Amino acid sequence: MATIFDLRNVSYSYVGKIDALKDITLKIDQGEQVSIIGSNGSGKSTLLAILDALVYPSSGEFYAFGNLISEDAFDSISDSEFRSYFRTKVGFVFQNSDIQLFSPTVYEEIAFGPLQLDLPVDEVKSRVEDVLEMMEIGKLRDRSPHTLSGGEKKKVSIATVLVNNPDVLLLDEPSAGLDPRTQLWLIELLQELGRAGKTVVTATHDLEIIDHISNRSIVMGEDHRIKMDRDSKSILSDYELLLSSNLVHEHTHLHGKLVHEHIHAHGQEHESHGHAHIGGQHNHDSVEK
Amino acid sequence: MIPDWMNNVDLQPGHFSAGRHGKKGFIGKTIEGILGFLEEAFLSESYSKRPGLMQSLDPRVKLLSILAVVFAASMISDLKVLVAIYLLTLLITYLSKIGVGFFIKRVWLFIPIFAGIIAIPMIFNVFLPGDPLYTIIHLGAGAHLGPFSLPESIFITKQGTMAAVIFTMRVATCVSAVVLLFLTTPQQILFKSLRTVGVPKIYVLTLQMTYRYIFLLMEQVREMYIAKKARTIKSRGLIDDQKWVGGRIGYTLIRSLSMSEKVHMAMLSRGFSGEVHIMQEFKMSQRDYLAGAAAISISLVLVLISQDIIRV
Repeated sequence: MATIFDLRNVSYSYVGKIDALKDITLKIDQGEQVSIIGSNGSGKSTLLAILDALVYPSSGEFYAFGNLISEDAFDSISDSEFRSYFRTKVGFVFQNSDIQLFSPTVYEEIAFGPLQLDLPVDEVKSRVEDVLEMMEIGKLRDRSPHTLSGGEKKKVSIATVLVNNPDVLLLDEPSAGLDPRTQLWLIELLQELGRAGKTVVTATHDLEIIDHISNRSIVMGEDHRIKMDRDSKSILSDYELLLSSNLVHEHTHLHGKLVHEHIHAHGQEHESHGHAHIGGQHNHDSVEK
Repeated sequence: MIPDWMNNVDLQPGHFSAGRHGKKGFIGKTIEGILGFLEEAFLSESYSKRPGLMQSLDPRVKLLSILAVVFAASMISDLKVLVAIYLLTLLITYLSKIGVGFFIKRVWLFIPIFAGIIAIPMIFNVFLPGDPLYTIIHLGAGAHLGPFSLPESIFITKQGTMAAVIFTMRVATCVSAVVLLFLTTPQQILFKSLRTVGVPKIYVLTLQMTYRYIFLLMEQVREMYIAKKARTIKSRGLIDDQKWVGGRIGYTLIRSLSMSEKVHMAMLSRGFSGEVHIMQEFKMSQRDYLAGAAAISISLVLVLISQDIIRV
């Protein structure tokens, strides 16, 4: 299977001072579904920005589709063939939808991408219609982005990227702030895209969705290095690993595929029910995450 | 986990009068004012969706027609003609299903600010000589105000009054035409139609984005203010509040800068490469050509009148 992204000893630091990534070496192959997990500030978003060639490694090398990504090729004003190719192939859904939605109406927002890629206007129109229908956001077409709800904004953001039909999809915390129903919808969408052969890379700390949307997980440590790169199932069952990466609290329990937390009153109760139970029945109050 | 002092709970009932405690703070008033203005701007978009005369025209025709009328009106110095054009804008307002009362109020709200200040000095003989209409004060010969010598008496002149009325009427007519354009065209389409008068694409896009993010930043400002209000236990002095506002202005600027950087990234990610492509969905129909031709002919006649080639 062809390698899409190839990072070799990549480090990145903001303003040359604040480290965001340290010595990252990884490969992502075509058609893979990968989750990048890590606590806040571990470098997930920066890693995605590097994968989308929006920022460039401070040191190390980054290859995409077998080509070295360099600032020279990507930040130049004159057209670069590789840049156009890359932008057509890779789509990025930002964490903050307000950043992604800069056009006056939903319709124009979705049309923006294909127009930049120089598709003929008729095709742009039919693609926008298809995507509006597929995402069930047809009724929002003339709305201004600032009048949309959080879930609607996220749907439109995803639509603006899918309309370019990228082979590689990068998503930054896509499930954050979504209601349970929309979250489920998102999982199903990502699964379907995966089945269609798209490469999907999702940065998240929502442990509940990882198993559903990826078969490989990369755990980022708080030292901004890769802590573990394995199949999602074994990562999710490695409680010690998740605890040491600050992804779970000592009161988090993993029941097979379900992650949940118990609210504890301090003192004796704490002692009495312990934290060792994985699976099985519970009769105390629990809060599903 | 929590420190000892946090274990204290004090739920003594308290009775406080709910009466007035003085005026609202200046920050609250300012923010409410700006938000109110923006909300009204947003609300007036609804006029652009009504099935009226102006709304049915192609925005490019509207823009060019209004520009032509404004240009012609600014050349006219005959009061009767100006009043006629003004009445015409009112008629079009009516045909565009906009409340004429609302429209007049909206236009005349700004006239005293823009035109009045310039026009008022014109009516006094101190600035423009002319025949007396109404004498205000008789000063006698050789009156001085510092190094300036004043005329014998100060009065309002006939010519000055006429000039001021014409000036104000001209401004009112032009403002009416422009307000009509703004009210009957959705902002975003209006921005796009600027392309027809040769405004480069990148400026149109920038304008659109500015309009989009003003709302977002305004919302952030409101949130900051509400967050402050929620934690204000004791009201602070004016100076402290002003310091807070200064700090927040800086913070909003920094936030908007970092946001603009990210928005740029989001654009790059979707294929933007410096040369922007936007969709232009304008269709000219026969009535558009007709309306455009009518507006331009009227403007042409007006210009001919102003040059005394046609006499009224």
